[in-house]
Amino acid sequence: MAVVSPSETANKSRSDLIAYATLSLMSIFCAVPFFWVLLASFDGNAQLFLHWPQQWTFANYVKVFTKEDGAKWLFNSLFVVGSATLLVMVLAGLGGYALSRTRAWWKLPFLYAILLIRVLPPTALVVPLYKFLLTLNNAEAAVLRPIFGSYARDIMRWTGFIDGYLGLILVLATMQLPLALWIMKTFFDGLPRDYEEAALMDGATLIQRIRRVLIPLALPGLAAAGLFAFMSAWGDFLLPLIFLSSPELQTLPLGLFRAFLRINEIDYGLLTALAFIYLLPAVVAFGFARRFLVQTFSGGVKG
Amino acid sequence: MARNSHEKRAERQWLLILLPSLVLLLAFVIYPAVYSIYLSFTNEALTGAAALRPRFVGFRNYVRLFNDAKFWNSLFVTFVFVIGSAVIGQFLLGLISAIALRRPIRFRRVFSSIILLPNAAPEVVAGFMWISMLAGGDNATLTRIVSFFGVTPADWLQVFPLSMIIIVNIWRGIATAMILLTAGLSTIPAEIYEAARMDGATPSQMFRRITLPLMMPTILLYMLISAVSTIAVFGLVYALTRGGPGGATEVVSIYIYNQSFTAFQLGYGAAVAVVALVISLILGIAYVRAMKVEV
Amino acid sequence: MINLRNVRKFYGALEVIKGVDITVEDGEFAVFVGPSGCGKSTLLRMIAGLEGIDEGDLVLDGKRINDVPPDKRGIAMVFQSYALYPHMTVAENIGFSLSLKKVPETEIRRQVEGVAEILQLTDYLDRRPAALSGGQRQRVAIGRAIIKKPSLILFDEPLSNLDSALRVQMRAELQRLHRELKATVVFVTHDQVEAMTMADRIVVLNKGLVAQEGAPMSLYHQPQNEFVATFIGSPKMNVIPVTATRTSAGALHLDSPIGLLLDLADANGAVPQGEAKLGIRPEHLKIAPEGQGHFTAEVVIVERLGVETYMTVGSGQQPIVVRAEGDIGVRPGDRVSLTADPAACLLFDSAGRVIRPATA
Repeated sequence: MAVVSPSETANKSRSDLIAYATLSLMSIFCAVPFFWVLLASFDGNAQLFLHWPQQWTFANYVKVFTKEDGAKWLFNSLFVVGSATLLVMVLAGLGGYALSRTRAWWKLPFLYAILLIRVLPPTALVVPLYKFLLTLNNAEAAVLRPIFGSYARDIMRWTGFIDGYLGLILVLATMQLPLALWIMKTFFDGLPRDYEEAALMDGATLIQRIRRVLIPLALPGLAAAGLFAFMSAWGDFLLPLIFLSSPELQTLPLGLFRAFLRINEIDYGLLTALAFIYLLPAVVAFGFARRFLVQTFSGGVKG
Repeated sequence: MARNSHEKRAERQWLLILLPSLVLLLAFVIYPAVYSIYLSFTNEALTGAAALRPRFVGFRNYVRLFNDAKFWNSLFVTFVFVIGSAVIGQFLLGLISAIALRRPIRFRRVFSSIILLPNAAPEVVAGFMWISMLAGGDNATLTRIVSFFGVTPADWLQVFPLSMIIIVNIWRGIATAMILLTAGLSTIPAEIYEAARMDGATPSQMFRRITLPLMMPTILLYMLISAVSTIAVFGLVYALTRGGPGGATEVVSIYIYNQSFTAFQLGYGAAVAVVALVISLILGIAYVRAMKVEV
Repeated sequence: MINLRNVRKFYGALEVIKGVDITVEDGEFAVFVGPSGCGKSTLLRMIAGLEGIDEGDLVLDGKRINDVPPDKRGIAMVFQSYALYPHMTVAENIGFSLSLKKVPETEIRRQVEGVAEILQLTDYLDRRPAALSGGQRQRVAIGRAIIKKPSLILFDEPLSNLDSALRVQMRAELQRLHRELKATVVFVTHDQVEAMTMADRIVVLNKGLVAQEGAPMSLYHQPQNEFVATFIGSPKMNVIPVTATRTSAGALHLDSPIGLLLDLADANGAVPQGEAKLGIRPEHLKIAPEGQGHFTAEVVIVERLGVETYMTVGSGQQPIVVRAEGDIGVRPGDRVSLTADPAACLLFDSAGRVIRPATA
C-alpha cells in the first residue's frame, strides 16, 4: 500500500474503477455465449437465438437419453477419454520421474523432442496415422478371424485400431503424453531427492520407493497432469471423427456435431441439452484444475 | 555419467520405465510425421486410378501445391487468423486482464474464473455457442447487441467470416494469454516498482520502461506457443464455418482435412501437411531455443 | 533535520506504531534497530512515503510532509534487495530518475559519471546488475539514491544479504561515504553490532514503541530498561533475579538463589526492597581467588577466542556468561569464584524498568 497524498488516493480509486469496468466487460464477453446453452436446454421451445424460455422443462435432457443415443455417446466418451487419461497418468507419472532423475545422454534430446512434438498440428498427422492404423487393424483382423470367426468383429470393437476402442484410446493418450510428461518431469524436478535417498538408505528397492514414497508425494502433479489430459482429450473432435465410424462407438462431440447437421428441423433444445452434458465434465475438471493452472504455465515459461 | 554398477542399473531402470511412452510417441507421432513426408511424394488417393496402384511421383505434389491458389489462400487465411487472434487479440485482452487482476479489488477469483471459462469449453460446443450468437438471423445475439448501438447488422458468418472466427478464437484463448502473462508479471519484484516510485515514475512510465522490457521473454514465449497452437486449430473453425464460405476461413488444417478426406487426395494432402509440419517445426525450434530447457 | 511527532499506524484494528517521537539531526547517521516485528521497517517506509501515516506528523526541515508523494520529499531509499532494474545498465539505473524528468542526455551522463566516481563504479557503468557482485550492486543502489541530491537517505537492512566478510567491508564503506557526502542517514537493521559500530544515534524499537534513543555508548552503559540492556551488547547482559534488603549502613544487600551475595551503594535510598533483577555484563564479572568472590559456580562451557575467553557458569535456570581477558586455563567442571563490579551493576524491577542505574 503505497498511498500518501489525497490526490494519489483519488488516482488509485480511479484506477481500481477502471479495473472493475474492464474486467466486467471482459467477463460479460466471456460469459454471454454460455447463456444460450444454459437457457435453451431447459426451454420447451428452444430456438437458435438466445431468448428467455416461455416454458421451463427437463424434457430435452430426457430426450437426449431416450430419443437419441445420448447414453451411448456419454458412455463412449467417458470410457475412451477416462481410459486414455488413466493411461497417460500412469505413463507420465513414471516416465516423468525417470526423466527427472536420469542423467543419461539421451535426456536432453528426449526433452527437445517432446517440446517439438507438442508443436505438430494433429491434422497434419492424421492421414498417415490413419493408414498406419488401418494396416495394424487389418493385421489384427487377419490374426483374429481364423480363431474367433464371426466373433472377431465384436472383439475388434474393443481391440481394433480403426473403429475400435483400443486404437482411439492409444492415440488420444499419445497426444496428451508430451504435455503430461513435461508437467511430471518439472514436478519431480522440484521435489527434493531427500525422500528417495532416505528410502534408499533404508534399503528400499525402486518399486518400493515408487510405491511408498513417490506416489503419495506425486499426487498433486498427477492430479494436474491428469486434469489437463482429460480436458484436452475430452474436447478432441478430430481424432474420433477420423477413427470412428460405427454408430455404437460414437462419442459426444461427434453426436453433437451430427445432431447439428440434420437437414430437417433441428431440435435446439435437444442440441443444447446435449451440449450442456458434454460441457459439464470439462467445466468440472477445469474447476479442479484451476489451482494448477498458474504453476503449470509458469513452469512452462521457465522450462 | 553413470560409473558404478549401481548407477548403471538405475539408468537402465529409467530407460525401461520410459520405453512404453517412447514406443507410443514413435508409433503414433514420429512415424506418421515421417510417413507424411513419404506420402507427399506419392500419388496416393482413396478413389480413382491411383488408389489401386499408388506410384512414387517425386515433387509433382509440391509443384501442384505451388500453383494452387487454394493452398496459398489457406496459408494466407491461417496467417491472418494467427496474427489476428493470437498475436493481437488474445495477447492484448490477456494482458489487460492480467494487469487489471493485479489490483487489490474484490471478486478477483470470480472475474478470473469467468475469463478462464471459455478455454474449458470443448471446441465443438464453443463453435455452436457462437453460431447461436452469430447466425440466428435477426435475432442473433450479436445482431441484437449491435442494433442497440445503432450499427447496421449483417449476416455475420457470411459477410465477415474471417473476422468472426478470429473473434471466436480470441474469446477462447484469452485464458492462455492471461495465465502466461500473469506468471510473467509476477516475476517482477514489487520492490522494483517501489524504487521506481521513489525515482518519480508515473504508472505509464513504469509500464513502458520497466514492465514491458522485463516481460519481453515471457511475451516472446507466449507468441510462439500461441502461434503454434492456433495453427493447429481445427474443430472450432470447422464447427463454425466448415472452412467457407468459399474458402474464406479455410485454415490450413481444414484444407488438409478437405483434401485428404473429402477429395481423398492423400498424397496431395500429405504434401500440404508436410508444409504445415515444417512451418510448425520452425516455430517450435525458435520456441525451444527461447525456452532454455533445464536438464 | 527530520522529526517524527507522535506517529501512529494501524493495520486495520492492529496498532503497529504506537506513538513514536524521533529526531534526527542534519548529517547524523541514525540507526533504527530492534527485533523482527518491532516496526522499524514500517517506520522507514512511512518516512519514505511508501506507507501512510495514520496519526502524527512527519516533518522534514520544518515542513510537514505527511501528504507529499515519495518522489517529491527529497528522500532517497536503498532497498534491502537493492531493487536494481535488471534490464538496465549501471549508468541507466543511476540516471533513471533524471531520465524520467526528461533531463538532457549529456547532463544525465555528466551527473552519472560524477556519482560513479565517488562510488568507484566508473569501470562498471555499462554492465548489467546480474554481472555485478553484491557489494557493487549496493553501490549502484546508493548511486541511484545520491544522484537525486536528497536531504535524507534511507537504508532498509542493506547488509543482511551479504556474507559476513563482505558485511564488515561494506560497513566501513558506508561510514566512509557518509563522511564524504555529509548526508543525513536513517539506517534500519536488526543487528545490534551494525548499530553500535555505525551509528551516531541509535533508536531502539520494540513492539512499535521507542525503547530508548541516544548515542551508542550511552545506550551501552546507561540503558533505561531491561529490553535495551539485554538487546545492546554481545554477549547479552546477564540478568539475575535477586532479593534486595536494606542494610543498616544504607546500602542494598542483594541475595540470589545462586548464592550471590552483594552489597550495592544506594545513596538516595530510592530503591524499594523486595524482588528485583540484577543486570551485569560479562566483562564486569571477574574471577577472584578462592572463596573471596561474591559467589561461586561450576564452569559449564568454555569458549576460547584467543584474545578473550567466555565462560558459561552455573547451570539450569541461571547460566551466567563471564568474560575474561586472554587465554586462561579454566576447564569445564572447574569451580570458580566470581566478583561483580558493584559500580557496573544495574537493578531492574519486575517490569524491566531501571531502578538503580550503573554508577560507573
